[in-house]
Amino acid sequence: MAVPAEVLIAEQAQPIHQEPTSFWRKYVFSIDHKMIAKQFLWSGCIFLLLGGVLAMMIRWQWAFPYRKIPLVGELLLPRSGGIIGPADYQQVFTTHGLIMIFFAVTPVLIGAFGNFLIPLQIGARDMAFPKLNMYSYWSFFLSQLLVLASFFASLGSGGAGWTTYPPLSTNVGTPGAGQSLLVLAIFVTGVSSTMGAINYVTTVIRLRAPGMTYRRLPLTMWGLWLTAILNALFVPVLGAAGLLLLFDRQFGTQFFVAGASAVRGGGDPILFQHLFWIFGHPEVYIMILPAWGIVGDVVSFFARKPHHWYKGSAGAMIAVTVLSAMVYGHHMYVTGMSPLLGQGFMVFTLAISLPSMIIVLNWLWTIWKGSIRLELPMLFALATMILFGIGGLTGLFLGDISMDLYLHDTMFVVGHFHFTMAAGSIVGAMTGIYFWFPKMFGKKLDTRLGQIHFWFTFLGLLAVFLGQLATGYAGQQRRLFDPYQYTFIQGLHGLNLATSIAAFILFLGQLAFVVNFFKTIFSKEKDREQNPWQVGTLEWTACSSPPAYHNFDHIPQVLRGPHELSDPEVMKVLDRDWVGQAEPLPQGTAGARA
Amino acid sequence: MSRLRALVASVLVLVARLAVAAPLPEAGYGLPRDVSRDGHHVDALIHFTMAAATVIFVIVLAAMLWAIVRHGRSHQAVPEHGSRATVGLLVATLVVIGVAVDGSMLVKTLIDMNEVFWNFESADRQPGAIRIEINAHQWAWTARYPGPDGIFGTADDVVTTNDIRIPLDRPIVLQLASTDVIHSFYLPNFRVKRDAMPGMVNALWFQAEKTGEYEIGCAQHCGPNHYKMRGVLTVLKPDEYDRWITDMAADARRAYDAGDKEAHWAWEWRRNM
Repeated sequence: MAVPAEVLIAEQAQPIHQEPTSFWRKYVFSIDHKMIAKQFLWSGCIFLLLGGVLAMMIRWQWAFPYRKIPLVGELLLPRSGGIIGPADYQQVFTTHGLIMIFFAVTPVLIGAFGNFLIPLQIGARDMAFPKLNMYSYWSFFLSQLLVLASFFASLGSGGAGWTTYPPLSTNVGTPGAGQSLLVLAIFVTGVSSTMGAINYVTTVIRLRAPGMTYRRLPLTMWGLWLTAILNALFVPVLGAAGLLLLFDRQFGTQFFVAGASAVRGGGDPILFQHLFWIFGHPEVYIMILPAWGIVGDVVSFFARKPHHWYKGSAGAMIAVTVLSAMVYGHHMYVTGMSPLLGQGFMVFTLAISLPSMIIVLNWLWTIWKGSIRLELPMLFALATMILFGIGGLTGLFLGDISMDLYLHDTMFVVGHFHFTMAAGSIVGAMTGIYFWFPKMFGKKLDTRLGQIHFWFTFLGLLAVFLGQLATGYAGQQRRLFDPYQYTFIQGLHGLNLATSIAAFILFLGQLAFVVNFFKTIFSKEKDREQNPWQVGTLEWTACSSPPAYHNFDHIPQVLRGPHELSDPEVMKVLDRDWVGQAEPLPQGTAGARA
Repeated sequence: MSRLRALVASVLVLVARLAVAAPLPEAGYGLPRDVSRDGHHVDALIHFTMAAATVIFVIVLAAMLWAIVRHGRSHQAVPEHGSRATVGLLVATLVVIGVAVDGSMLVKTLIDMNEVFWNFESADRQPGAIRIEINAHQWAWTARYPGPDGIFGTADDVVTTNDIRIPLDRPIVLQLASTDVIHSFYLPNFRVKRDAMPGMVNALWFQAEKTGEYEIGCAQHCGPNHYKMRGVLTVLKPDEYDRWITDMAADARRAYDAGDKEAHWAWEWRRNM
């Protein structure tokens, strides 16, 4: 068969380069997207553990206030001998939030999956700008070092909350180098994300293999691509706000200072909130869109059935992307914004629930009448559906101005965003890790350990975040070092204690994943199944596992969509229920629908 | 075995106690007691949304479990990309939820906000409305009553810290500001909350229907002692309140020190909030 001209052009545009042999070029300053993805994965997982330890400290404080942390207390807080004080506490929850959002979930979902999957799933030999990709990782690494350094500052790390609202986050409220280092870390990680985003957007637009039209992209690609667009648009806004805040802290400017400390005229603390949330609300979609994409593909693959209403899901993701920056004001209902503005933001907030619902209902319609295989990725995908579902439904309460008057800044908000960002995004990421692990490392993770990890994670997250919702419903504010100063919260100690115990069990359950991860990587056995999940996307059907340095020996010519499963024509011709996206059917057959 | 029985028994006792006790934070769960004239609007919306969310969640979960049980490995997958009928059903579901849930929430909220919660002017205009200025600072709430002359910033102003007293059944209009960082004035038993911002004056109003002592919380992280920024709001019978404010104003006049500039923070009452 003659090679089509467009494939020849694509081959010419992306010549095969020799794999570097030196250690530094291969493993450290690598420009290979697969190696960079692994670097992001390691960085993210280590900080996920760190963020988890910080979360356990918060839960310890609410369960056993003023008591010494057992076993590791002196190690974590040498100055106080393991007892959390109010100043330690504010550093703990501030860094927990920042680390989880910017330095754990973002690198795993976007850094690791974005880098690893974009070229492999669209049929490219690398990213559009491989060197920029390397800079993106190393600037991210620098930002992680800045976060770690902040813990060693003389007054400890920052304590103004992950939202770093001024004037609290200026020298007025949080003096010391720790907070400055954290703000600088946010700025540097913003630079890294922007570089990554430009690269992802360009790669998807320019390097799709011939035949890989937008309608044939796996949903994971839609999620990552739209995320990259949001990142490119809104992370620079955060960077600008962070830089101005840093000027306020270091050089005595007063962009965001008001009140008694505004000795030279002063600025506007609300301006920071606008800048922060016009980034911050798209950020929650930045963190959930890749997970939506992954879950969308995985439910289709393991129900052995095409994704229901693909166009609807992709369209809904686009709608969410467009609306995401128009709803941010719902974080600011109680700041004293104009009622008209508040009502506008509320209308958009209720509107954005509709496309989100299309996505979830499409997952349900996809598994309906399928042939469901409850393998590990599918278990995690179904758990994401349930946990994200609760997160979405609790969002209805908070998008509403009246209810927000009562629920704003309570634990209800904490429960809501943990269901979406922690449960939705992290379990979505776990779905991806279990699914693509064989592609990354050539071996499947152990099923038994994976199931143990699954039940601990699913039930644990459910219990902890339901506990948060319940305390918030009863009125408990967030970020209280000792909530029991309030008489009405004293009755909630039982609920808080139970939630904390669930959190400790959840944390211990993650051990199953760590053991599984290392056990599998270091195991001698080599069952390099080419396509262990029997699906048709390019990374499984057009290149080897793990992929060669240049990914594809020949740039594939894509013939059909990503979810062509259980097609009767294919089953008749090939005697299997899947067909590769670039796999030609024998001459004379009608061929699967594209 | 006996240990198991004891565990089951204690769980049952706990469940029974929770079921008998009124749902209150003091009893371990549930909304705080509502003692305001308008808090029931918020509670009604919370209950409506809770019911709607529960119905949607249970139906979706049931369908999901049904599919997992009935459409397992032995079931032959139907290779459908979505027909006109299935997409139509999905869109119809969406429209029903959009109109019935989102739509009714929106309408009810717009009415509540415009008529009650964010309608500061009509509350302020009512005869007998009590005006209080609140200056939040790390880590206390300082309240200023205008005193008998009704003007803020004069010698008969009553100033208290973490102790706000109000009469029953009269609109209470607060104007909030902050000296240092952002705080948030939060009355769980009245279902209201508003930020106190440096460089800005915000308003809040409510009306009490039951006497007693209720807690004032800070809802916005404002530094290491955020958790200690607690005040008490005491709702008094009207005659008790009148006696208290008269005594306080007399004390204030006696203690007034014209030279103590620090103590004279106050702003002219903002009429159009």
